[in-house]
Amino acid sequence: MNDLHAAVIHDVKNQLAELALRLGERGDAQQEMVIAMDAARRLSEMLLVIRQEAELLSVNPDSVDTADFLAILAAEYRELFPSLEFDIDTAQAPAFAFFDDALVRLALSNAVHNACRSARTGVRLAAREQDGMLVLEVADDGPGYPDDMLANMGDMPASASARGTGLGLYLARKIAELHRLEGRRGRIALSNDKGAVFRMFLP
Amino acid sequence: MHGDYLQQHRQRQFGSNPDMQTAQAVLLTGDARVRRVRAVLDSGNIALATISQFADKWVLVIDDMEGMRSQLRMSLTNSGFAKLHIVGSIREALERMAGNRYDVILCDYSLGEGTDGQQFLEYLRTNDLISRNTIFVMITAEQAYEKVVAASECAPDDYLLKPFTAGQFNARLEKLLERQQFFAAIDKAADAKDWTRVIAECDKALPAKNKYFIELCKTKAAALMHANRPREAANLYRDVLALRPIGWARLGLARALAMLGEKNEAQQLAREIVADSPQFMAAYDFLGGQLASSGDKEAALGVLQKAGEISPGTMNRIRELSTLAVSTGQPELAESVMRQTLQKHKYSPVRQVHDYAILSKALATQGKADEALSVVADARKDFRDEQSDAVLSATESIAHRAAGNDELAEAALARAMTGDIGTLPAGAVTAIADACFALGKEDEANKLLRHAIQNNPEDETIRNKVHNVLTAAGKEVTEADAMIEESTQEIIRINNDGVRKAEAGQFDEAVELLCEAADRLPNNLQIVGNAALVIALQLVRNGNDPKLLAQCLRYRDAIIVKAPDYPKLAQIDSQLRQLNK
Repeated sequence: MNDLHAAVIHDVKNQLAELALRLGERGDAQQEMVIAMDAARRLSEMLLVIRQEAELLSVNPDSVDTADFLAILAAEYRELFPSLEFDIDTAQAPAFAFFDDALVRLALSNAVHNACRSARTGVRLAAREQDGMLVLEVADDGPGYPDDMLANMGDMPASASARGTGLGLYLARKIAELHRLEGRRGRIALSNDKGAVFRMFLP
Repeated sequence: MHGDYLQQHRQRQFGSNPDMQTAQAVLLTGDARVRRVRAVLDSGNIALATISQFADKWVLVIDDMEGMRSQLRMSLTNSGFAKLHIVGSIREALERMAGNRYDVILCDYSLGEGTDGQQFLEYLRTNDLISRNTIFVMITAEQAYEKVVAASECAPDDYLLKPFTAGQFNARLEKLLERQQFFAAIDKAADAKDWTRVIAECDKALPAKNKYFIELCKTKAAALMHANRPREAANLYRDVLALRPIGWARLGLARALAMLGEKNEAQQLAREIVADSPQFMAAYDFLGGQLASSGDKEAALGVLQKAGEISPGTMNRIRELSTLAVSTGQPELAESVMRQTLQKHKYSPVRQVHDYAILSKALATQGKADEALSVVADARKDFRDEQSDAVLSATESIAHRAAGNDELAEAALARAMTGDIGTLPAGAVTAIADACFALGKEDEANKLLRHAIQNNPEDETIRNKVHNVLTAAGKEVTEADAMIEESTQEIIRINNDGVRKAEAGQFDEAVELLCEAADRLPNNLQIVGNAALVIALQLVRNGNDPKLLAQCLRYRDAIIVKAPDYPKLAQIDSQLRQLNK
C-alpha cells in the first residue's frame, strides 16, 4: 500500500461520507445512508490500519468522562439504527478515566456497529473498573460471535471475505495495545453471553 | 489590512453589538422560527431541550468546499441552530469575527492550498482574537487528525472526524456547551488575563471532583504559571502525574522547573517526553527554546528540524527555526524555510511583518542584498502601518549595511527610530536594536533592549527575543542573561523606590519618579498602575489639581484598555471616589 493508494481511499471515503449526508437529509433513504456511512467507516479503518502498520499511530491519553463518551457514541448509532434500544451503564465506572478519546472512539465504533447489526432489540454500552483496568463493554442480544471469531480474537483477517468485521476488530486490538501504563497494556476480549460481548480493557 | 482585523476585533470584545441584536430579533420572529421547529420535528429524534439550547448560539462555519458548506448549513439548521454564518475562507471568517462574538466555531482543517485550520487557530489564540470560552471544533479527515492533535499547544476544544452523523454532532455539541457554561467564569477571567481570579475560580470548582476535575487542574496550573507561581504549578502538575503520566502535565512540570531555575531537570524531562511521545510537538518547541537560551543554538535548531519532519510547522515554530538558522550561520536554511512558508501563506493573515524581516536578514547575511531589499519592498505592500514601517526600515538598514551602503543604512535606521519607542511593540524594538548592532551602535542597541525588557515585564517571549538579539550580536550567554536580569532589577527598584517614597509621605518625589517611568514604559502595568495610584493619593491629600487628575485618568484609562480587570484599578478608583466627596 503506497501513498497514492491511501490518497484514493481517502477521497472515496470522503465521497461516501458526503453521499451519506445527502441521503440522510432526504429523510426517505435511511437504509441507504447506513450503507454509505458503514462503507465510509470501513475505509477510515483501513487508512488507520495503514498508519498503524507504518507505526505512525500514537496515542495521546487524556482525561475522559466515560458517561459522556458512551452517550456520544450511542447518539451516533441511535440515529443510524432508530429501532434499537440503547442502554448505557456507567454506575461502576472509575471517577477519572484516561485514554485517547478519538482513537478509542474509532475502535469502539466498529464494535457498536457490529452489535447494532446483530442485535434483536438493543445494545448495551458499559464502563466499569476491574482489577485496576478500565473496561469498556459493548453487548448485544443477537446470536453471538461465530466460533472462528472467538478463536482468533482480533488477529489480522486472513481472507478478504472475513474482512467485513475482521479488520475493525484487528484495529480495535491494536488501538487497545497502544495504551500502556507501568508494564500493563490494553487488550480486547470477545465472548458470548445472551449475545455478543465485546470488551476493551485499558490500563 | 492585516492590522485592521486586530483592531476591530479588540474593540468588539469590550463593546456591545447592536448589529447582532438586530439579526437575532429578525431570526427569532415570524416564519423563520416556525420553519425551524418544523424541520426539527420532522427529523424526529432531537429533544426539545436541544432546540432551545442551540437556537440562541452564534455559530461560524469555515469550510472551503461548497458541498460541505451546504451540508453543514442543512445539518445545523435541522439541529436547531438559527444564528449561522457560513464562510469559505479565513479572510471572510475574520471579517465576520470582527462584528460578532461566536459561541461556536466549526472549522475544517484543510482549507485549500494555503493556511490550514490549525494555523488559523494558532493565529486566533496567539493574538487573543477569540475568547477562551468560544468553542472551537476542528473538522478533520482521519489523515489530518494526527497533525492536528500533534500541534496540541493550541488544541481545539474538540475534533469531529469525517464522516459524522447529525446525532453524533448534536451529542458532542451538547457536551461542549455544558462545558462552556461550567467554565464561563474561569474563561472570562482568563480572557482578562486576571490569573489570580482564574486560580480562585478553579479553587471554587475543584472540590466537587466532578468530570472536569483534571481539566480544572490543567487550567489552574497554567494560570499559576502565568501568575509567576511556578512552585505551586509544579506541585499541581505532580498531583496530576500521580494519577496518570499525561503529556501536558509532564510538559507543564518541565516548564515550571525551568521557571524555578532547574534548567537541567527541565531539559531532561523534555527529552524524555520527546522520546516517549514523538508526536507531542509542544515538547520539541519547549526543548528547542531551552537549548537556545542555554546557548546551544545548534542543538536547538536540530530539535526544531526533527519536529518539522514529524508535523508541518506551526508559524511560531517556523519563525523560531529560521531565526536560529540565521544565528547559527545557516542562512540558506532560513531562506528556504521562510520563502516556502511565505509562498504558501500568500495573502493569509497568519503572516507577520517579522517573517519578511527574517527572510530579508537571511538573504542579507548571504550577501544577497538586492534580494533582501526586494523582500522588504514586497512586505511594504501588505504591511503599511507605523509599527511595520519601523520593523521594515530596520530590516532595510541591515540589507544596506550588508551591501556596504552605510549611508543608506543610517538613513533607514533613522527612519525606523522616528516614532515613539514606548508605543512600539517589543518585536519592533528588538528588530531596531538588531539593526543598531549591525551598524556598530552598541549603546543605542542596549538602551532599546533594556526598554523592551522593562516595558514588558514577565514576558518570556520577549526575554527570549532580547536574548537572541544579544547573542546574535556576539554576546556571551552569561552576558546576555546578566543584561536581562539587570534591566529587570532596575525597573523593580524604580517601582519599589516610588512606593517607598509614597509610603514615607514624599508624594512629589514618588509622583515624579513613577510618572517618568510610566511615560517611558506604557506597557508596564505595574508601573503605570502605581503612577496612577500615587497621583490619586496625593490628590486626596493635597486637594484637587486638574492637571494631575488628567494625568491620573490617562494612566487609568490606559490600563482599562489593556487589562479591564487589573486589580489595582479598584484601589485607584476608591481614592478617586474620596476625591469627589
